[in-house]
Amino acid sequence: MIITPQELQQWLNEEKIFTVVDIRPDDLRSEFPLSGLHPIIVETDEIPVYENKTILVCQFGIVTENIIVEQSLDNTFSLLGGAQAWAALQSEKEDLSRWSRQTVLPEIGLEGQKKLLNATVGIVGMGGLGCPAAQSLLAAGIGRLRIIDGDKVELSNLHRQPLYGPEDVGRLKVQTAKEKLEKLNESAVVETMDVFFNADNGLDLIRDTDIVIDATDNIHTRLLIDRFSKEAGVPMVYGGLFRYEGQVAGLNVNGSAGYSELFPEPPTGGDTCADVGVLGMLPGIIGNIQSLEAVKLIVGIKPNLAGKLLVYDGMNHTTQTIEL
Amino acid sequence: MIQVKVKCFSQVQYALGVNELSLELEPGTTSAELEELVRNTAQGKLDGVILRIAVNQKYVPVEIELKDGDEIAFIPPVQGG
Repeated sequence: MIITPQELQQWLNEEKIFTVVDIRPDDLRSEFPLSGLHPIIVETDEIPVYENKTILVCQFGIVTENIIVEQSLDNTFSLLGGAQAWAALQSEKEDLSRWSRQTVLPEIGLEGQKKLLNATVGIVGMGGLGCPAAQSLLAAGIGRLRIIDGDKVELSNLHRQPLYGPEDVGRLKVQTAKEKLEKLNESAVVETMDVFFNADNGLDLIRDTDIVIDATDNIHTRLLIDRFSKEAGVPMVYGGLFRYEGQVAGLNVNGSAGYSELFPEPPTGGDTCADVGVLGMLPGIIGNIQSLEAVKLIVGIKPNLAGKLLVYDGMNHTTQTIEL
Repeated sequence: MIQVKVKCFSQVQYALGVNELSLELEPGTTSAELEELVRNTAQGKLDGVILRIAVNQKYVPVEIELKDGDEIAFIPPVQGG
């Protein structure tokens, strides 16, 4: 038997009792999640018998249709068009009024909002800059976030990393962040990569993103992000902090300068927050400027910081923009 | 003599204790000579810190001669996040 995505949606709305079985491999499941369906994962053609009406889901609805016929499964439905058709239906019914306060801006509008909903943003580092950047990007409707960090939450992080609380100390940052972020926007996909960005994995981590946010705390990693941003053709929004001061730049945007054009050799003398200290509000401000620039680059809004370095002085509240 | 304004960020601001300086320089002074002057004024606090220079809000990767009224910014790398 076959069920259409619309009929399945109707079942959901009527709160009918049924079991959804997803037979797809891990990579397809994470790329096209079955939002709202809470499926049982069965990565094989041997489908267990369930008490309830059962809906089998594959990527296009062809494999599951064959399984039902070949195994003469009763009380079992194949989702017509599979996970792709379900994803298409979900994006159609997405209530865009959620973003009405930003779509009313002529520079964004519904077209811009759709670009945001279809965009993938990578964030390297889920610390002081990464936390606020992730929060505001998800709230703005970015469809997919890939958060990359191998670190665990420490007590000294809490004053500037608002996604984590005392109960999270010792947990993986990306896992904790995902749990909090998914509550902000249930239809967005938050992919977690509990690794440190390095020369071996860097290119794979960002190559299929639209923008990468550099929210790291060290120049060595920043230069690696810069290198892979150039290689993959993925623009990079850089952010850095020093005490009451922050920097943001749009790098490698359609051939604009990158970090290595500014500092060709790994520079010395840059201090970390642990060395020189930072007030929690400053990464909040700078991380949000990074997300603002990411949104502008995705939607295509100008002027933006492509090829420019913004320096914000939080003590005197002055800014300086330097053309790179 | 020429008058220039120097904007100081991050480590430079902490090393010199000010966020802005007005300087009178010999005509023909170059950006590299100004950097040397700033480093000497910092009395060792900028040793080992790489600095980049912007003149009139534009990054200048090579040594240039400064002009009267120029605004110079020294940009050190920052790595906190």
